[in-house]
Amino acid sequence: MWDTKNVLTGSADNSCRLWDCETGKQLALVETNSAVRTCGFDFSGNIIMFSTDKQMGYQCILNYFDLRDPQQIEDNQPYLSLPCNESKITSAVWGPLGEFVIAGHENGEINQYSAKSGEILKVAKEHTKQINDIQSSVDLTMVISASKDCTAKLFDSTNLEHIKTFKTERPVNSAAISPIMDHVVMGGGQEAMEVTTTSTRIGKFEARFFHAAYEEEFGRVKGHFGPINCVAFHPDGKSYSSGGEDGYVRIHYFDPQYFDFELEA
Amino acid sequence: MRDTDNMEAEMEYDDGEEEPSFSDPEDFVDDISDQELLGDVLRDKPQEADGIDSVVVVDNVPQVGPDRLEKLKNVIQKIFSKFGKITNDFYPVADGKTKGYIFLEYSAPSHAQEAVKNADGYKLDKQHTFRVNLFTDFDKYMSISDEWEAPEKQPFKDFGNLRHWMEDSDCRDQYSVIYDSGERTGIFANDVKEPIEVEERARWTETYVRWSPKGTYLATFHQRGIALWGGEKFKQIQRFSHQGVQLIDFSPCERYVVTFSPLMDTKDDPQAIIIWDVLTGQKKRGFHCESSAHWPIFKWSPDGKFFARMTQDTLSIYETPSMGLLDKKSLKINGIKDFSWSPGDNIIAFWVPEDKDIPARVTLMQLPSRNEIRVRNLFNVVDCKLHWQKNGDYLCVKVDRTPKGTQGVVTNFEIFRMREKQVPVDVVEMKEGIIAFAWEPNGSKFAVLHGESPRINVSFYHVKNNGKIDLIKMFDKQQANSIFWSPQGQFLVLAGLRSMNGALAFVDTSDCTMMNIAEHYMASDVEWDPTGRYVVTSVSWWSHKVDNAFWLWTFQGRLLQKNNKERFCQLLWRPRPPSLLTQEQIKLIKKDLKKYSKIFEQKDRLSQSKASKELVDKRRTMMEDYRKYRERAMDMYNEQRPLRLELRGVFVFSGGVWTIIGEKN
Repeated sequence: MWDTKNVLTGSADNSCRLWDCETGKQLALVETNSAVRTCGFDFSGNIIMFSTDKQMGYQCILNYFDLRDPQQIEDNQPYLSLPCNESKITSAVWGPLGEFVIAGHENGEINQYSAKSGEILKVAKEHTKQINDIQSSVDLTMVISASKDCTAKLFDSTNLEHIKTFKTERPVNSAAISPIMDHVVMGGGQEAMEVTTTSTRIGKFEARFFHAAYEEEFGRVKGHFGPINCVAFHPDGKSYSSGGEDGYVRIHYFDPQYFDFELEA
Repeated sequence: MRDTDNMEAEMEYDDGEEEPSFSDPEDFVDDISDQELLGDVLRDKPQEADGIDSVVVVDNVPQVGPDRLEKLKNVIQKIFSKFGKITNDFYPVADGKTKGYIFLEYSAPSHAQEAVKNADGYKLDKQHTFRVNLFTDFDKYMSISDEWEAPEKQPFKDFGNLRHWMEDSDCRDQYSVIYDSGERTGIFANDVKEPIEVEERARWTETYVRWSPKGTYLATFHQRGIALWGGEKFKQIQRFSHQGVQLIDFSPCERYVVTFSPLMDTKDDPQAIIIWDVLTGQKKRGFHCESSAHWPIFKWSPDGKFFARMTQDTLSIYETPSMGLLDKKSLKINGIKDFSWSPGDNIIAFWVPEDKDIPARVTLMQLPSRNEIRVRNLFNVVDCKLHWQKNGDYLCVKVDRTPKGTQGVVTNFEIFRMREKQVPVDVVEMKEGIIAFAWEPNGSKFAVLHGESPRINVSFYHVKNNGKIDLIKMFDKQQANSIFWSPQGQFLVLAGLRSMNGALAFVDTSDCTMMNIAEHYMASDVEWDPTGRYVVTSVSWWSHKVDNAFWLWTFQGRLLQKNNKERFCQLLWRPRPPSLLTQEQIKLIKKDLKKYSKIFEQKDRLSQSKASKELVDKRRTMMEDYRKYRERAMDMYNEQRPLRLELRGVFVFSGGVWTIIGEKN
């Protein structure tokens, strides 16, 4: 939540929980019928959303709860519950003003779901394979989607206009937008289960940095020895973190040269 | 009892009656044909025509008097009874001597045909070469109409300039790329910046492609046969129908193409291997083939005049364009294990293993004379491999031996100096097992990979004019299992392909220095361009399912490009035809190299800066657009500020006015 008082977590134990950040006390529990895939607070911090997986006969559902109405949590009655029939939601973030949720689907589609009416406001069909991650820019004006189709794409949050594409040769598991530079970082690699012949040499899996305007890769950071599952910039933009299949979280601080670097233009 | 009694009664004849007649009635005509009754006998009934079909006329027979007639007849009998039983002969005589032509009759027409096939052209002696024809042929040729009908004019198929790619102003070589697991085939021109697509087609081939030796044609494979494409637009030039074709080979001159299909062989009509004339599309000859394990089965002489193949104890050499056996017979070479042509001359090298007390030996035979210009005896041989240097200047025979009294296998290289009188042979002894061997093209060095993983070494030898073979340099601890020389010589790439994970070493053998050590992880292939300027390493989808790509390097090992292609399978450089320049012209150009270098460098700089300029312009535009977008987004963001503040409980809208909570209006 924006004031870092509370934390919202969703889990494959079929529940979504609200916690007090300082004390660790569980403040609320919402039980679900299937695993909770993604969750988040809106800009105000009053409304939470989470999506559940299509599992064991249960649909993928996008749920909205208003925290100002405790009855909703107690009765497990979201004020808005949207089933997704076609393709399950794999990742979602709130729009800039809490009016809608931007969700990525297994089939590569990105949809805006209104938090008031539940209708689909905008659709973007740019990716050809599953969306693995969606993250917002720090000002929430843009989102970046990471997809199994080996690209990450930048969209405008409000109208879902496709702005940029960043191409690699490996499925992208996660992408993030730098808060202070025109950079994006991406991490990926084949899922451990799928392929046993990717390079298993130490440190071969890399986080890759692209210039947001030129769509050109300008740097790579080695270190992980398994696919990277999640990347994030520090809010001050001076470092980034990556978590990988190898069980490690790596935090890298940028050299001064990183901030001075410019591609010739 | 009663029945038998009755029968007996019926059978009783009255005494005195005549025997019943068994003759047919007078006017009876039977309805059984001769064919039904005597079919098998009738089949053998001599027919008038038969006799003529079995007769041959032999011309250019020596004219002899009656004293030598008997001897002549014996000679003829000996020669011609090979093809069948001679039932009749006729030696016309005039003025006391035989006329010079005779008639022979065989017991069957097939024998007569055999005689024509095999004895026509037989050289009895210096003055007499038999001409043998079927008697019936005379009739046929006599009755050819006197009216001459002009043959139908075939429309001229203009395929354009088949050497069009050689006229590229920047001398870019082409290469074929198969990707999308075989679904797409593309032809690209090799530009340093990035490959330029020349042509690209879906399902152009069903399996893979091959270039002809001089680069004129691209051959594609299909269920029904192969197709040849060429010219500027890669139009289809020729098609060869060979159901189930799997393998092909071109003659070095590109006049003939050989196709192999395991499906088509029948006892009477050998069709497993077919040799075609490329320009006319005609089937020239078909052959049997037991196994295609050692393709190409037919090996061509460098000038395309001969092609040969080896079968059990036999070496068969054929001539073009007749497609007949040289001297009408195969060579009997007991135990022949392997053979190959010199790439520079019409010389065949072959070897036979030990036979009782005759040692194993390597023989060099000149064609068409069949003179053995060199024979080398080898002792205690386990196996031999023949390695020719690209111009035929040297032959290396790798001999694996088990010396007497030892258990292990030792390897020697027997180096034959082909350009020196009597073809002297020098021996290089190797202490370790050999992994790879390769001659320097156009040069006199060779490289050897030896040892056993993980201790693999590479040694460079120079075959000098003074009769010595020097070890120039050895590098140890190499990660390599293959040697790739530049087609122009001097430079080579040592590669550890496939299981060695794509380790690469770029070597300059003029001073045996390692120019660069690099890696293309899981590389499965290394291909030099025909000029020796560039090397491509690639990871084929056929051997590794991820990271399929081909990388372009300079000959010094500087990486220029990484080209990822979805499910990339194969890259083949288009060969170049031999240079039209004479040696003198080439020398002159090399002398003036500095002058040419300057021009090219300038051109390169211009093109580089043009590329940079293009890139820089592109970036500028992209940045401008992006900035504009961000400005719009920020404008909207700023406009929305009050909404955000309200959401977080800082502002409140009441009484038509925004108020900060906690502040009095």
